[in-house]
Amino acid sequence: MGLLTILTKMKQKERELRLLMLGLDNAGKTTILKKFNGEDVSTISPTLGFNIKTLEHKGFKLNIWDVGGQKSLRSYWRNYFESTDGLVWVVDSADRLRLQDCKDELSALLREERLAGATLLVFANKQDLPGSLSKEAIREALALDELKSHHWCIIGCSAITGENLLAGMDWLLDDIGARIFTAD
Amino acid sequence: MDATEGGSQENDFTGDAGAGKMQERLQKRNQARIDDVERRKEAKESLSVAEEQLDYFSSTFKRERVCIEELLSSCSGADRAVVTQRLEEATAQITQLQKFLNDSVLFLTQYELRQAQAALQKLQASLTETRENALPKKKFAFRARSKVADKASVPVSDSPPPDVAPTPAGPHEVDGGAASDLCGFFNMDSEHLTKTSEEIQKRDVLLSHLSNCKVRLLGSPSTLHLKHIDSCEILCGPVATSVFVDHCKNSILSFPCQQLRTHRTTDTQVYLHVTSRAIIEDCHGVSFAPFFWSYPTLEEDYRASGLSQDINNWSQVDDFNWLAAGTPSPNWTLIPEADRKTNWD
Repeated sequence: MGLLTILTKMKQKERELRLLMLGLDNAGKTTILKKFNGEDVSTISPTLGFNIKTLEHKGFKLNIWDVGGQKSLRSYWRNYFESTDGLVWVVDSADRLRLQDCKDELSALLREERLAGATLLVFANKQDLPGSLSKEAIREALALDELKSHHWCIIGCSAITGENLLAGMDWLLDDIGARIFTAD
Repeated sequence: MDATEGGSQENDFTGDAGAGKMQERLQKRNQARIDDVERRKEAKESLSVAEEQLDYFSSTFKRERVCIEELLSSCSGADRAVVTQRLEEATAQITQLQKFLNDSVLFLTQYELRQAQAALQKLQASLTETRENALPKKKFAFRARSKVADKASVPVSDSPPPDVAPTPAGPHEVDGGAASDLCGFFNMDSEHLTKTSEEIQKRDVLLSHLSNCKVRLLGSPSTLHLKHIDSCEILCGPVATSVFVDHCKNSILSFPCQQLRTHRTTDTQVYLHVTSRAIIEDCHGVSFAPFFWSYPTLEEDYRASGLSQDINNWSQVDDFNWLAAGTPSPNWTLIPEADRKTNWD
C-alpha cells in the first residue's frame, strides 16, 4: 500500500473538500456563496477579508472560502492556496472593462504550484444583466481553451436568481470526486 | 607473620578484586556518561539542523540571486542571439530558485518566506523587463475605427483609455460588444453634459477622461463607471448595482447606488445614498455626506432600480488600506453639516 493510497483512504473517510472562491472585486463571490447557502443576498457589502461557509452537498462536506477581491487583498490570496481541491473563479460578465485584468489574475493563479492539482470552475456570473457577455465570450476572453494544466469548466450563472449555481457546483464535485475518491 | 601476610595478601586480593570491580563500575559509568553526552549532542544537533539550514538557505539564495542579476544586467547591449541564450538561462535559474524556495518552505519563517518570494518576484519582473528591452515583441493591434478615438488630445495615461477603442490584447469580438453596450461621455473639457432616462436606463454608463464638466444623468443605469475625472460635478439617478470610481480628483459626485467602490481618488466629495456599503482603496481626502438631489422622475427611477429609499449607509465607509479596527481611517471624513452643499445649480 503506497502513501498515495493511504492518503486517498484518509480523504475518502472524511469526504471533506476545500473550495476556494476567487475573482476580481464586484464579481459576486459572496453573493454566490450566500445564495448557495440560502441566505439573504440583498445587503451584501464588499468583502473586507474573507468568509468561510461549511455546508453539505451530495454527501460531501464542503468548506468554501470566499476571499475579498479588492486589489489590496489579492496579495493575500496566496495564504488560502494550501490543500485546495477546487478553485471557483467568478467573473462579472457585465464588466467588459476589466476582462483583461480578470484574465491576468486568473493566469497568475494557475501558475501557482500549490493550486496545481485543483479543478477549476469558472462562473460567468451576472447572466441576468441585460448587457452581460455570454459564457462563450468569457471563455474566449480568458483564453480557457489554451488551458491544459487543469480540469476546467465554464458555466454561465446568476447569483441573484440562483440560475445554474447548483449545476456548476455539481460538475465541480463530480470532477474532484472522480479524481480523489476513485483512485483505488 | 605468614598468617598476617597471607591475611594481608588475602586482603590485597579482595582489595584488588574490589578495585577491579570499582574500576569496571567507574568505566561503565564513564561510558554511560559519554553515551549520554553523545546522545545529548546528537539531540541538540538534530534540533539545530533547521538553524544551520536557514543559514545555508539564505546564503545560497543570496548567491543565486546575485548570479541571476548579473546575468540579466549583462544582457544590455549584447548580441541578439547571446541575449536570447542568457535570458533562457536566467529563466531556468529563476525556476530552479523558486523550486529551492518551495523545498525550503518547511523550515522558513513567514517573514523569510515573504522576503524570498518578494525577491523572486523582483527577479521575474526584471527578467521580463530585460526581455522587453532587448527583444521587443512585434506590436499587433486592431485599428480603432471609432471616431472617439480619432479625436485629438486624448490624454496620455498609464492605463489604457477604457473607452470604445479596443484594447490590443483583448479579443476583438468582445470589445466590439463593449462598444455597442456602453454609453457615456469621453474626453471632454469644460462642458455641460446631460443624458436622459431613455439613453441610460438599465445600461452600463461610462464617463472617462472628463475635466471641468458638469454632468447630469437623469435616469437609472445598471452600473456607473467614472474614470479619470478631474474637477467635475457629476450627478446621477439611482444606480441599480455598483458605482466604480477610479482616478478621480477635485470633484463632487452625487448618486444613490447599491455599492460604491472608490479607487485611487483624491480630494473628492461624495453626496451618497448607498444601500449596502461604500468602500475606498488607495484614496486620500475623500469626504461623504448624504445624497440630495431631485429631478422629475427620481421616484420612478428609484422604483426601477430596486433600491430602498429608507436604507442609507452613507456614513459607513470601509477603507481597504486601513484594516486597523478601532482607529478611524485618515483617508476619508464626513462632511460637517455646516459645510455641506445645499443646492446644485
